[in-house]
Amino acid sequence: MFLRFPLSDRRFAASALFSLALIAVAAAAAAQDAPSAHNEVLIKNAVVMTATHGNIQNGSVYIKDGKIAAVGKDLSAPASATVIDAGGKYLTPGIVDSHSHIALDGDVNEATNPVTPQMMMIDAFDYQDKEIYHGLAGGVTTSLLLHGSANMIGGQAIVIKHKYGLGRDAMLFPGAPRSIKFASGENPKRVYGSKDQLPSTRMGNFEVQREALVQAQDYMREWDAYDAKVKNGDKDATPPKHDLKLDALADVLRGKLLVQIHCYRADEMLTEIAMAKEFGYKLRAFHHALEAYKVADQLAAAGVGIATFSDWWGFKQEAWDAIPWNAVMAMRKGVHVAIKSDSEDFARRLNQEAAKTMRYGGATEQEALQMITLNAAWIIGVEDRVGSIDVGKDADLVIWDGYPLSSYGVPNRVFIDGDVYFDRSLPGFGMPHYKEGM
Amino acid sequence: MRRINSSQVYRLVACFVLLCAMAAAQQKPIVLRGGKLLTVSHGAIENGVLVIENGKIAAVGAASSVKIPKDARLIDVTGMTVYPGLIDSETQLGLTEISAEEMTNDFIEPSEEIMPHMHVYDAFHAESELIPVTRYNGITNAVVAPGSRDTLPGQDSFVQLVGKSSEEMLLIRDIAMPLNFSGEQRRNQGPFDRRKFPSTRMGLAAQLRQAFLDAQDYAQKWADYEKKREDYEKGKSEPSAKSEDKEKDKGKEDKDKEAKKQPPSPPKHDLKLEALLPYLQGKKMIVLAADESNDLQVAVGLAKESNLKFVLNHISHSQSVLDYVASLKVPVIVGPIYEDPKPYERYDAVYSLPAELYKRGVKIAFASYDSHNSRNLPYQAGFASAFGLPYDEALRAITLNAAEIWGVADKLGSLDVGKTANVVVANGDPLDMKTDVKQVFIEGKEIPMTTRQTRLRDQYSGQ
Repeated sequence: MFLRFPLSDRRFAASALFSLALIAVAAAAAAQDAPSAHNEVLIKNAVVMTATHGNIQNGSVYIKDGKIAAVGKDLSAPASATVIDAGGKYLTPGIVDSHSHIALDGDVNEATNPVTPQMMMIDAFDYQDKEIYHGLAGGVTTSLLLHGSANMIGGQAIVIKHKYGLGRDAMLFPGAPRSIKFASGENPKRVYGSKDQLPSTRMGNFEVQREALVQAQDYMREWDAYDAKVKNGDKDATPPKHDLKLDALADVLRGKLLVQIHCYRADEMLTEIAMAKEFGYKLRAFHHALEAYKVADQLAAAGVGIATFSDWWGFKQEAWDAIPWNAVMAMRKGVHVAIKSDSEDFARRLNQEAAKTMRYGGATEQEALQMITLNAAWIIGVEDRVGSIDVGKDADLVIWDGYPLSSYGVPNRVFIDGDVYFDRSLPGFGMPHYKEGM
Repeated sequence: MRRINSSQVYRLVACFVLLCAMAAAQQKPIVLRGGKLLTVSHGAIENGVLVIENGKIAAVGAASSVKIPKDARLIDVTGMTVYPGLIDSETQLGLTEISAEEMTNDFIEPSEEIMPHMHVYDAFHAESELIPVTRYNGITNAVVAPGSRDTLPGQDSFVQLVGKSSEEMLLIRDIAMPLNFSGEQRRNQGPFDRRKFPSTRMGLAAQLRQAFLDAQDYAQKWADYEKKREDYEKGKSEPSAKSEDKEKDKGKEDKDKEAKKQPPSPPKHDLKLEALLPYLQGKKMIVLAADESNDLQVAVGLAKESNLKFVLNHISHSQSVLDYVASLKVPVIVGPIYEDPKPYERYDAVYSLPAELYKRGVKIAFASYDSHNSRNLPYQAGFASAFGLPYDEALRAITLNAAEIWGVADKLGSLDVGKTANVVVANGDPLDMKTDVKQVFIEGKEIPMTTRQTRLRDQYSGQ
């Protein structure tokens, strides 16, 4: 696909430009595919769980053109608005899944080289995959689709909205920041160690990562030197050779990508923090991070979040010290904590996974809810767009049957950008914008 | 065969005697007072009293109706919920420690598909760190089953999740045997030249039928031998008849003499075929596993051909034949309901399966089908109730129904006088993940509420 990339432009990473182009395409496609660019809905008589400022009993949310236009107790809407009586049910922000590999048709890992930052998950995105629907029916409205953890430096993620039934580009989250997946620990060393390649140890892992970053620094210097020559009027200056891999890593060093690191063990988190400091880039979050509770102070000081499981453990050696109190212990130390799925199954019931934090460690209702909404949105870098019921945010909302933070919470209706994409009461798949065989 | 059975009985008896001795050693009765008792068998009792004596439930009822023993230790459980220990109808507890570390796994013998002579009790690891983690959430008993990659992977054991050794924990060895027919058992991995028989469902079925036939032949061989031996013994003890029929029975007498001279030699023992016999004779239960309706019907056919006594397992994608399932009049261990729906299924097709079975009068039980995550068993029951399964039935599916299916309802599964005191005290609804389990009793003993995980928590909380 990148053959269409304008080769004449030497300066920007192919990936960066390509992403920008995609977003433009997405916006255009969305206008064609989406139910309507304009909508006006008043959801009333709900227990509004805002995720930022508590619950509003008998609350209402007024949606205009896909955004939350008002939130409060006694809202009146213009006569033109569609009124939905929630019948006293709970209303939450749409769930945000900050670690997912759904809808990639198995193309999660380009496990042929431990450094593949030029991989673009958009190229594997199977927008017709029913897994998107399964998450939607579980209340998930936004997901970060990441490269896998086979490589120390994996590929670049996409952020989707679960608008199942629409076209591919209409599902992309417009303007979401770019994320890149890094990894550490057992997976890279197992994948390459099994082939007798570097890395097969944690020493090898970090050496591979360092080596790649050093190359990227050299690459940037070459380009800087060339730029300086051009600036000084040197007409004979020849540009260095383009390298997609190093372009992407240069973007990491320039801080243009959110770095999401698959990392289980506490010691490796500290090493990753030190390496980021050494090379001058910032880490967004450790994913899985099952030992975060051991180094929570250091994570908080470095401003690194975690996207973790509630209670999954013991599936591998580096998950042996996992404890279900991890999320709350880290949160109490000031770490941004999200509960994520990393599983087609958990993506369907993240509300239950979040509820477990209320038992293990005593998270409040709002704290638990934030772990699958606002904090998850922060991990992805879209916290100003989604993740809470606040004026100006995208109208991604879920009306629940039962109390959402329990075994009994089941999405009744799911709204994305103000439109209903899932309605439990509908026959068949329960999706207004999807027909089988379309 | 007879020899093996009697040794098993001996072990069971020894185990029972040991347990009795332990229970007797327990002194003071324990009284749980003021809680809400979910008896499962006879409703909920607010402000109830439960008396534990000698490892058993000695009394259960409303505070006003239960006499409290004089020397009893009173535990105030006001505001708490008290319910029977939960039973997980299929786990791999004790067969694994760290999933990715193969040396810690004892799930399955993949060399052959018919392995009925594998016994999970030979691998069950009493000291597994997973066991305290599981019982911490109120699960006191479990069926330990081998993995599902073989058609007949071996025999299950029914365990109690506390004990100093596997001897103490293995309550019933070889309680049942899984028969798996889900397609997963096919040896069809890799390119064609690497495949081996049976690589199709046809192969699996044919192989299984042959195994059952072989076992029947084997049983016949032994029966013939027993008969011969009997005749031989008889001939030895009775002095040869000196009757007038002597002439007439000349031939017979010669044979008798022959028998007296040479005792019949027994057939060679075959552990594999021997292991099948209690199942072919209907003495033990097959756990018949299939997912999709086509597989289910083939599996039931296979079971019926050989007159197997069976319960169904999984049937996660058999929604189209639930009336047929009900007509079989057998219980179903259902799920896990977290099984992903097929692309053609509605999102809640598997979630609502327990409710659909219940509506048709089918007795159901839940299983975690897991090891590390077995602790989450009760939430599966809760979630099923969000999709139409009545709450009481959801709780029953992880207590009394399970006990009935596994033939231990005289001892487990409800808060009733005379049953083993496997009792859980929690601060709320047992089926909700927000509920904190405060105390677990197994055989009337307070189980320390500590696990490897609580120790790590405390260590890093500075406690």
